[in-house]
Amino acid sequence: MTDAIISTQRVTKTFGSKAVLQGVDLSIPAGAVVGLIGTNGAGKSTLIKCLLGLLRPTSGSIQLLGEDPWNLSASAKSRLGYVPQIVKLYPWMKVRHVVAYTSAFYDSWDNDWAETLIDRWDLPREHRVGPLSPGQLQKLALVLALGYRPELLVLDEPVASLDPVARREFLRSLLEVCQDEKHTVLFSTHITSDLERVASHLAILKEGKIVMFDELDAVKDRVKRLRISSASDLPRDFSVRGALRTEVTGRQAVAAVTDLDENVLNEVRDKWQAEVRVEDLNLEDIFLELHHG
Amino acid sequence: MQTNPLEFAVQPTSGVPIYRQLMDQVRSLVSSGRLKPGDRLPSVRQMAAELEVNMMTVSKAYTRLEADGVLERERGLGMRVPEATSRDAAAAPKASVAERQQELKPIADELATRAWQLKLTDAQTLDVVRQVLKDRKS
Repeated sequence: MTDAIISTQRVTKTFGSKAVLQGVDLSIPAGAVVGLIGTNGAGKSTLIKCLLGLLRPTSGSIQLLGEDPWNLSASAKSRLGYVPQIVKLYPWMKVRHVVAYTSAFYDSWDNDWAETLIDRWDLPREHRVGPLSPGQLQKLALVLALGYRPELLVLDEPVASLDPVARREFLRSLLEVCQDEKHTVLFSTHITSDLERVASHLAILKEGKIVMFDELDAVKDRVKRLRISSASDLPRDFSVRGALRTEVTGRQAVAAVTDLDENVLNEVRDKWQAEVRVEDLNLEDIFLELHHG
Repeated sequence: MQTNPLEFAVQPTSGVPIYRQLMDQVRSLVSSGRLKPGDRLPSVRQMAAELEVNMMTVSKAYTRLEADGVLERERGLGMRVPEATSRDAAAAPKASVAERQQELKPIADELATRAWQLKLTDAQTLDVVRQVLKDRKS
């Protein structure tokens, strides 16, 4: 995998007796916009921190921009943008000062772009950082992370503290940044609808493992819900091959499959004289199906 | 003529991938004759910006439509509806009104269900449809 911007091999992270990451294998190709979703406590932030070298994995290995994140070079750092879940900036600085201060660290700082973002998000240049609202603070952190047009942008729950209007604005800007396919983006969220317009890839983290990683379209194309109605009562232990779950009520059954397979459909039709209807699932449905039981 | 991107509408939260929604809509535009041979489609960038979706999504839809022969790539100019060769034109007649109405049926079904839930009469429901159609024309 030479074009992988991030790759991990069997990464684990344990805090005391709590195994948060339990063998994460992930390979993110250049140009992908990856939405990382998982329930609260699934390990999203821990994974992101390990990827960025902010936490050291207990075992396994990680390559970020071709380097070990624990010993990241200055040049790799300048190709990397990160917005943490909780933004900490000097409270006594004015907005424009923070921007000027941050810009000095980066050769590739794009001042016009930063100014455009500040205008678009109505950030008050002359206000001090301290009293800014969480939403404004988040936007300012985004300006600081986007200002040097990093090759890889990593965002931990970037829109959690934004109102719906600001969230939409943010996603639009994220799309603008991604237009140039040199940019790779990884962002975590638990709001699936945020992902659907923006993401090209989907990574689902469950109980410390990546249980699904693929192109978003491919996931929608293959994860389906089957509604089965048979001519006679189905047995209690009725199940569909490869299904995540099957629920039986009398002659009806509902099954969610991760790889829609015509052979399986025909099998069910023949064996149970059943009618099978295939339902498309959106991301939220898919996410819920994967976390069922 | 260039299609205005506003004539497309995608539902990101639908279970149907956005690229397939786009493909279906381009197919409808071509089969209805709204898009004529030689007509150009918005650029990938334009379309993505207008619909606020990922460029890769639009690009995927265009590439597949090209593979299916619905669109052709004009070097440096983007995608357009191919000029029908006489044989193709004979082989693929435009969709009839009945066929096109058939495509509208799933949405009408949904409308009917919602109208029933809201306890609207047929006339009241059709009034809404008429008003929407009228607003779009003005």
